[in-house]
Amino acid sequence: MAARALRAARRCSELAGAVNRAVWRLPGLTQVRWSRYGPEFRDPLIDKEHCRKPAAELTEEEKYDQDLRKTQLIKAAPAAQTCSVFADPVISKFTNMMMKGGNKVLARSLMAQTLEAVKRKQFEKYHAASAEEQATIERNPYTIFHQALKNCEPVIGLVPILKGGHFYQVPVPLSDRRRRFLAMKWMIKECRENKPRQTLMPEKLSHELLEAFANKGPVIKRKHDMHKMAEANRALAHYRWW
Amino acid sequence: MLKGVRKLIPRVHKLDPGCLLRMSTQAPRSITTHSDDQLPVQRPRAICRTPESDPVKTFGEACLMVRKPALELLQYLKNTNFTHPAVRYLLYGEKGTGKTLSLCHVIHFCAKHNWLTLHVPDAHLWVKNCRELLRSTYNKQRLDQPLEASTWLRRFKTTNEHFLSQIKVEEKYIWNKRESTEKGSPLGEVVEQGLMRVRNATDAVGIVLKELKRQSCLGRLQLLVAVDGVNALWGRTTLQREDKSPVAPEELALVHNLRKMVDNDWHGGAIVLTLSQTGSLFKPQTAYLPHELLGKEGFDALDPFVPILVSNYNPKEFESSFQYYLENNWLQHEKAPTEEGKKELLFLSNSNPGQLERLCAYL
Repeated sequence: MAARALRAARRCSELAGAVNRAVWRLPGLTQVRWSRYGPEFRDPLIDKEHCRKPAAELTEEEKYDQDLRKTQLIKAAPAAQTCSVFADPVISKFTNMMMKGGNKVLARSLMAQTLEAVKRKQFEKYHAASAEEQATIERNPYTIFHQALKNCEPVIGLVPILKGGHFYQVPVPLSDRRRRFLAMKWMIKECRENKPRQTLMPEKLSHELLEAFANKGPVIKRKHDMHKMAEANRALAHYRWW
Repeated sequence: MLKGVRKLIPRVHKLDPGCLLRMSTQAPRSITTHSDDQLPVQRPRAICRTPESDPVKTFGEACLMVRKPALELLQYLKNTNFTHPAVRYLLYGEKGTGKTLSLCHVIHFCAKHNWLTLHVPDAHLWVKNCRELLRSTYNKQRLDQPLEASTWLRRFKTTNEHFLSQIKVEEKYIWNKRESTEKGSPLGEVVEQGLMRVRNATDAVGIVLKELKRQSCLGRLQLLVAVDGVNALWGRTTLQREDKSPVAPEELALVHNLRKMVDNDWHGGAIVLTLSQTGSLFKPQTAYLPHELLGKEGFDALDPFVPILVSNYNPKEFESSFQYYLENNWLQHEKAPTEEGKKELLFLSNSNPGQLERLCAYL
């Protein structure tokens, strides 16, 4: 049954491929991002729990799905994808943004050293503090990291809009994705540029993360500056048409 | 794997239920006062911790896991015959298995039993990255290293303070036209002279080693010679003279004197050595066996010795190390205490103590 479905799927995909190719032969339309994989390739499934389920527990749908996957072509899993319990998508994204020249090994080690530095600083503070203060000190580097980035996200952004031959900075609502990106970008830029020459990245980054966690520091200031500019240009808000 | 100037007390792991060996820390830290295994005097010890990864700052204490290699060594040391020539014990093993910390445990034991400990925290530091090389005044063929020698003298002074006044020098030493040390003066004067006149520091080290050897042969004290990274003494150096010609290790006065010290021509103590690939020069990363790291010359010089293999954690030790981290809240990740997290750590570290520590540092 699965094999018959597969043949049908292949025929469909050929047709779809033909349609795709027809579309892309239209003048004025160039496909910028493309994949080496054809349309018949399925995405890999990275889920230990799913694979460990014994055959008796699978529903009809899942059994069909599993059968289908045996005969279909599947893309290779990307190197950065793990089924590790310690994997965090935010940390991975941040590491990728810190990476230069494809040197993921270095970026990852810098991230690890930063988390370690944050942890050690918090532990020192914890041991030096009195009993009441100890309850308030957060020692988990991951919560500190997530909270710091959340504190750095701007609520509203500015976009240059061309009107009457001039570019105006118009206040515009930002999507979640854009806000997270801006927070990470500002953090990395701050740590790369505004620091004494010999300080290492983990040292500076851990310091900035701790400051952002406490809602202080240059990155938070930059967010506030963005908000102030948006407030100042409030009159131009009607230039936005979306 | 010794980096920078280190001060301090060995780090920790927990141990098989029963023996948790703790060392006392400085007085202001009242969090941990352990009356069972306290050292009489606070001794800053140089080992493998940088000031940033100081366990006293993070945990407020420094503990050590008691493991089989260290226990074996302690057994041998308890049964040393002080009339026989000094036995050489060599700790070897792969990277990160715990050779340096086993050495620290042994040093702690000997210090508690009032032996005089002669500890060289990393012999590799003497054969690379030396900023000043002077021609030795004592022997024209050899080279002096004033900075390394004075660092070592300072450390020796702090660890063995109470012995320095008791040991008397047996010979007269003339430093220069105006200064000399008379026969019968305490060893502390030689050390002071080396620290004050940095040019004579290397010679001071040589004198200290010679005197200690002599005194232990006469039975006045028990001497423990502990050298970490002993394969540096017989390898190659990266040092060069002014005319860019390479320097062989035997041309360095410090190395020459230390080689004489680890020879078994004296009695009244023991010699405990550690091999180390991290920090070694011109050796492949996978080398860990004695004949690979020491080379033919070193092996022949150290032969005969008692080899002691230090290997990765067995399941019980891993469990106990993991529990120690959990109890001290070092593993902050929410998934770390789960079964899944533990299995993953076991797999990623392969029960290697060093690797486990590095993994747990950022979790």
